[in-house]
Amino acid sequence: MNFFTDVIERTDEARRAFETNPVVVEAVAHGMEIQRYRTLLCELYHVVWHFNPICAAAASRITDEFAGVRYFLYQHMHEEMGHEQWVLNDLEAIGLSKRQLLEYQPSPQALALCGFNYWAADRRHPCSVLGMMYVLEVIAAVYGGPFSAAVKEGLLLQNDRGTSFLSSHATLDAVHMTELREILNQVTLHEVQDTIVESICVNFHQITHVFAAI
Amino acid sequence: MSAPESIGIAALLSRPYKYVRLEWSSELSALRVRTCVTPIQCYSLSAMGELQRVLLDVADNAGLVKHFVMTSDVPGVFNFGGDLSLFVLLIRARDHESLRLYGRRCVDLLWWMETAAQLGVHTTVLVQGDTLGGGLESVLPFHKVIFERSAQAGFPEVLFNSFPGMGAWNFTIRKAGFAIANEMILSGKLYTAQQLYDYHLVDMVVDDGQGEEAIEEALRSVHPRLRGTLAALQARSVAAPVTYESLMSIVERWTANSLNLTERDLKLMERLARAQVRKGTRGMSEGAVEEIKKVELDRAWGEERTGITEWAPL
Repeated sequence: MNFFTDVIERTDEARRAFETNPVVVEAVAHGMEIQRYRTLLCELYHVVWHFNPICAAAASRITDEFAGVRYFLYQHMHEEMGHEQWVLNDLEAIGLSKRQLLEYQPSPQALALCGFNYWAADRRHPCSVLGMMYVLEVIAAVYGGPFSAAVKEGLLLQNDRGTSFLSSHATLDAVHMTELREILNQVTLHEVQDTIVESICVNFHQITHVFAAI
Repeated sequence: MSAPESIGIAALLSRPYKYVRLEWSSELSALRVRTCVTPIQCYSLSAMGELQRVLLDVADNAGLVKHFVMTSDVPGVFNFGGDLSLFVLLIRARDHESLRLYGRRCVDLLWWMETAAQLGVHTTVLVQGDTLGGGLESVLPFHKVIFERSAQAGFPEVLFNSFPGMGAWNFTIRKAGFAIANEMILSGKLYTAQQLYDYHLVDMVVDDGQGEEAIEEALRSVHPRLRGTLAALQARSVAAPVTYESLMSIVERWTANSLNLTERDLKLMERLARAQVRKGTRGMSEGAVEEIKKVELDRAWGEERTGITEWAPL
């Protein structure tokens, strides 16, 4: 069995726990009222803002043994660069200014999510960053589309106005999922695989709590 | 009950399950499995893992369980079939191996049901609500299939350019014949309990609320002639065999086809998944069945008005 299939099996419970959280279920089925959607985007801004620094922290610690993962991170960081601006644009479209966003204090759940990923890259294994990427891309590729459709319907938003971050990531991350599967299958050391699985479970757990706290 | 059996059933019942609830009737040696996979009652990997564990326990305690009964604890839904979110994930990741693994897990459950008579177990299923795709496939190998009158079922996969790949062809052909299997699988239509009974896919249709009595009646009627019934059912699988290899060969084709689904097909799959969630929340009556009817209607309107058979962008 390749590692990606192993990941699917070992983290299925964690993915389902996210998917079945009542707040997530409600959001995917019926969207969100505007104030809660604003809060969610503010939380996501924080997560997106720290995405590249976490990847950079991991890339700088990865040994040559995992050079393929390091190159994957370089490429991914390049592609993700500036995506926080999409969140900012969406927030402005639904009535929250940049100043208000920058004054927003991220929740303990969002801080803990980012904090874990910095810690795991530094103290667990730098390849554990692939766990964070897996979770964010699964959420975007699998749930991002239905969620942005529900938000659009609920808030009567036109085209991608206000949902560009969610909508574009739903499509973009479909390509990323394939690339991620390929890079995960290159990780063959069991100890490293275990840290990635652990990271996936923690990231699903934490992001579920970010949603639940909104 | 003898001592070894008591130990077996105690161990069997005491496992900590999340998605199934077990009940034991010592009078008829009947194990009742109630499934509850919230908020979407489907065959997730974890739920199938638990079911497989139960079935292995039954097989390991030969002679202990004589009747295996399955029902759903989710009101209005027996089972929505495959885990659509997982499919979307695996298809977008172009993950052939995991899709095939999922198919194999489904086939393993079906195969247990197909060979249950050899283990000395008679199987009964009660369907009290919607059962779609893999949900319907999963009930077909049961020895006795009971539907409450308002239950609806079908194979909607063709609506998103897929097909039911885990036993639908084999078991529908065996029970109802080629023509009906063709009609059901290629149309994607939904069928009432009565229609399924007329097609010989369902053995009993009872009024809503009468399902529990029907199970009791079915078990009590078969129990005195259990050995003969099981022997006959084993002979049936010789007369009209379904092989594991044939089931897995169809899984291979299903896997290959899944990887050819387009973005539009996946969006429709997501639309159905959302509808399944809606059915599970706020107690809404609108669910996947209603969404499938809307899709059929959209398609019919599209053909009638414009001659275009493609769906409008979702």
